[in-house]
Amino acid sequence: MRRLQKELLNLTTDPPPGVTVDPEEIGDNLSEWTVSVAGPASSLYEGETFRLNFRFSQKYPFDSPEVVFMRPNIPVHPHIYSNGHICLSILTDDWSPALSVASVCLSITSMLSSCKDKKRPPDDAFYVKTCNKNPKKTRWWYHDDTV
Amino acid sequence: MAGVENTGEAGATGGQEGPEASDGAYECNICLDQARDAVVSMCGHLFCWPCLHTWLETRRNNQVCPVCKAAISRDKVIPLYGRNSSNKDPRNQLPPRPPGQRTEPENQGTTFGGVNFGDTNFHMSFGIGAFPLGFFASTLNFGGERLNPHAGLQPGQQFHADDQMLSKLFLGLGIFCVIWILLA
Ligand SMILES: [Zn+2]
Ligand SMILES: [Zn+2]
Repeated sequence: MRRLQKELLNLTTDPPPGVTVDPEEIGDNLSEWTVSVAGPASSLYEGETFRLNFRFSQKYPFDSPEVVFMRPNIPVHPHIYSNGHICLSILTDDWSPALSVASVCLSITSMLSSCKDKKRPPDDAFYVKTCNKNPKKTRWWYHDDTV
Repeated sequence: MAGVENTGEAGATGGQEGPEASDGAYECNICLDQARDAVVSMCGHLFCWPCLHTWLETRRNNQVCPVCKAAISRDKVIPLYGRNSSNKDPRNQLPPRPPGQRTEPENQGTTFGGVNFGDTNFHMSFGIGAFPLGFFASTLNFGGERLNPHAGLQPGQQFHADDQMLSKLFLGLGIFCVIWILLA
């Protein structure tokens, strides 16, 4: 998993704004990371901090990582379910091996930045009751990315 | 003055960082290592061929550049051959790189073939001579013998030359001894 080692090094030495990773929190095999993301400045989430859980399969980066927000602080957002699952196309269909932990964090940050109304997805209650634990198993029907 | 020197050094280290940073320009966009068996897409993005191949196999029916999502396919990437990269065609060992440059190794083949050709010509003329002219088989055999030793003669000649050299050497030694004895 040389690529994950490189990513971890890049992320600790030159992280995107608001993104922090504590290498101490990451196990030796690098297959599961916890990354902190600060609510972007001058957004509805300014001042909040969220934690993301990344799980990487053996096929990473050809296979997308499994990314969820961790309790207790899950952002209230039209594309983020109350169980932490995120409706974001790059995490499944639009994944590319040129993407990285950093670029996923940036996408999520920009998703938070552009939010104009803090609310859960309309189908939140139903989804949370019925979904698989792994968000990658969900057949996401992607909302327009402008929200 | 020391301050001036320091800034000069800082500038120098800055200059060294430049090329280091630009090294990233030749990293594979997938494994983030220096691209090995590099290929470049029509959209200009650099990958290791094994990395890109794996990706193309992963998304067989939707092959796009991992970086810019431009259409990409195995036929539309260009292998890069650096000066110090091995001349071995990595397409033979790895998942085959796009075809089109496989003609190259033929040059080496022809030089080898040329030498072999000479040899076979020898045998051919011998064989053709022997079969239709049965009566002259003996004479032709002589010819053959003459031909064969001809090929084998060069080492013999060398031995011969060596013998001559040796005898000359002994002769010289003998003369030297005689002269020495005479002088003494
Ligand atoms: Zn690579
Ligand atoms: Zn591209």
